[in-house]
Amino acid sequence: MTSIVNIGRRIELVPIDPHFNDITIALYLQQQGERAVFRVHTYSRIEGAATRIRDVVQSMKILGGMQETADGMLYFPCGERHEAACRRVFLEACKLPPNTSAEPRPLRTLDKKSKLIITVDSVGNGTYRVRSDGEGRSAERRISAIAGGLIKLGEMNAVQDNEGDSVVFPCGHSHDALVGLLLVRAPNVRVIMREEEAGAARGVLAAPSQQT
Amino acid sequence: MQNEKIQVVKPMNGRERVLAALRNEPTDRTPICNPTSVATVELMDLVDAPFPQANREPELMARLAATGYTELGFDTIMPVFTIIQESSALGCKIQWEQKDNWPTVKMREPIWEDVDDINIPNNFLTHPDTQCVLEAIKILKKEYGDEVAVIGKTMGPWSLGYHCFGVEPFLLLSLDDPGKTKLALDRMKEATVQFGIAQIEAGADALTLPDHATGDLVSGEYYKRFLRDLHIEFVERIPIPLILHICGHTVDRMEYIAQTGMAAFHFDSKNEPKESMDIVQKRIALVGNINNPETLFAKEPEDVKAEVVKNLEAGVPLIGPECAIPLQTTIENLQEIPKAVQEWHKAQL
Repeated sequence: MTSIVNIGRRIELVPIDPHFNDITIALYLQQQGERAVFRVHTYSRIEGAATRIRDVVQSMKILGGMQETADGMLYFPCGERHEAACRRVFLEACKLPPNTSAEPRPLRTLDKKSKLIITVDSVGNGTYRVRSDGEGRSAERRISAIAGGLIKLGEMNAVQDNEGDSVVFPCGHSHDALVGLLLVRAPNVRVIMREEEAGAARGVLAAPSQQT
Repeated sequence: MQNEKIQVVKPMNGRERVLAALRNEPTDRTPICNPTSVATVELMDLVDAPFPQANREPELMARLAATGYTELGFDTIMPVFTIIQESSALGCKIQWEQKDNWPTVKMREPIWEDVDDINIPNNFLTHPDTQCVLEAIKILKKEYGDEVAVIGKTMGPWSLGYHCFGVEPFLLLSLDDPGKTKLALDRMKEATVQFGIAQIEAGADALTLPDHATGDLVSGEYYKRFLRDLHIEFVERIPIPLILHICGHTVDRMEYIAQTGMAAFHFDSKNEPKESMDIVQKRIALVGNINNPETLFAKEPEDVKAEVVKNLEAGVPLIGPECAIPLQTTIENLQEIPKAVQEWHKAQL
């Protein structure tokens, strides 16, 4: 009787897509053998919904450096989940209006808080080092904070034997596009977390005594 | 005990199962029952019936509600997703919100200040927002009424008091002037009865009756003083199984609730199933208890299953979410409820 099929575990949701008829778009995770694959899905059957999903998939490939299987599933070249990072790629891809071609984000950004230019260098084996165009304690603090942001958003690890400026993907592979995408949000990771909490709280019904 | 029931009871459809459980009769298996909403944003997309329109247009309301049965596998269909339909008809201002959020009554702009302000308008049952519910129930009854229990909802006077007077003024009134509060409840109860009877005439098999004397603001003694007798009166005047819904920690009033003659109490996960069953002692059925904000919303199917099993082991006769589920709940967690119930029963054979 049901028209819903098992498409994996839902790991992220955009409840209202402002760019296409307020449809809901979700990201599902499946395991295909050794490889983690992701499906962008909507239950909407309205005309154009499938095209909108294709747009998001295409954007995710560019923004996250992901690849696509023949049946439209996405995966990272390393085959690992990088679940938190993939959720971020999905959310950013959904923010792009249709017919907008996504561009890979550069490995440098302006840190609005310190006014420093932050650059991330790939040093191989999935390791990235954060540096800035300034010096001093303030620059060190921001580098450390941004490295921490990358760790949180990308589920990366800190590299222990240095000055708190390097992070590494557990898979040991480089993910330049992914790091470029995460770098935009890494300086404000607390804001991102608060936004996510607020978003999750929407749609949870409170008893009248808890309402205003 | 459940084994005995499985062996002697002939196979039932969802409607028979739910109604038998509400009459405290044996069932072929434990029914899966949602006295409140199981709508989600994904289900809205599936049937093209999004909020807020699905709260205001009967065809959309019916279509979205039916997914609880057709897609999730529950034994009930409950189309009254919100708690604001009759308050809107009474004249309250409503914040209708978007697809991903619940409509709410603007309680900071109350419509009544004094008991003498209470007025149930002549068009209460023909107002578009009450009519929507009645028409949706008719549609569902026609389409699914032989297979599945159609559950309506009529709000109790305590909840209407919050909506129409504002939460704080109504609670202060109950402290300052209990007599006036009882008079207010007595006048507002007619809305509960009128809307309940209209839903029976439209085809509802049972009614949820939320009356938010919740554990966080109102004590068990308060429930006894202000609401127990009113709830007994509802059982006498609304001739259909009634499912009382009160959120929060409520074991301190379950004894009084069990005295009302309500068919069931829709109880919150803040209450232990076994302790609750021990209190009500089969005088009233229990339903609900699967946690919404943590388990259904944020955990995995195996966590849902664990809560379902805990309730089944405690002998809770109808299984379902504790309250209206969060609109972003995953479908797989909701589908796990009927799956877990069926697996548990198979394991008992």
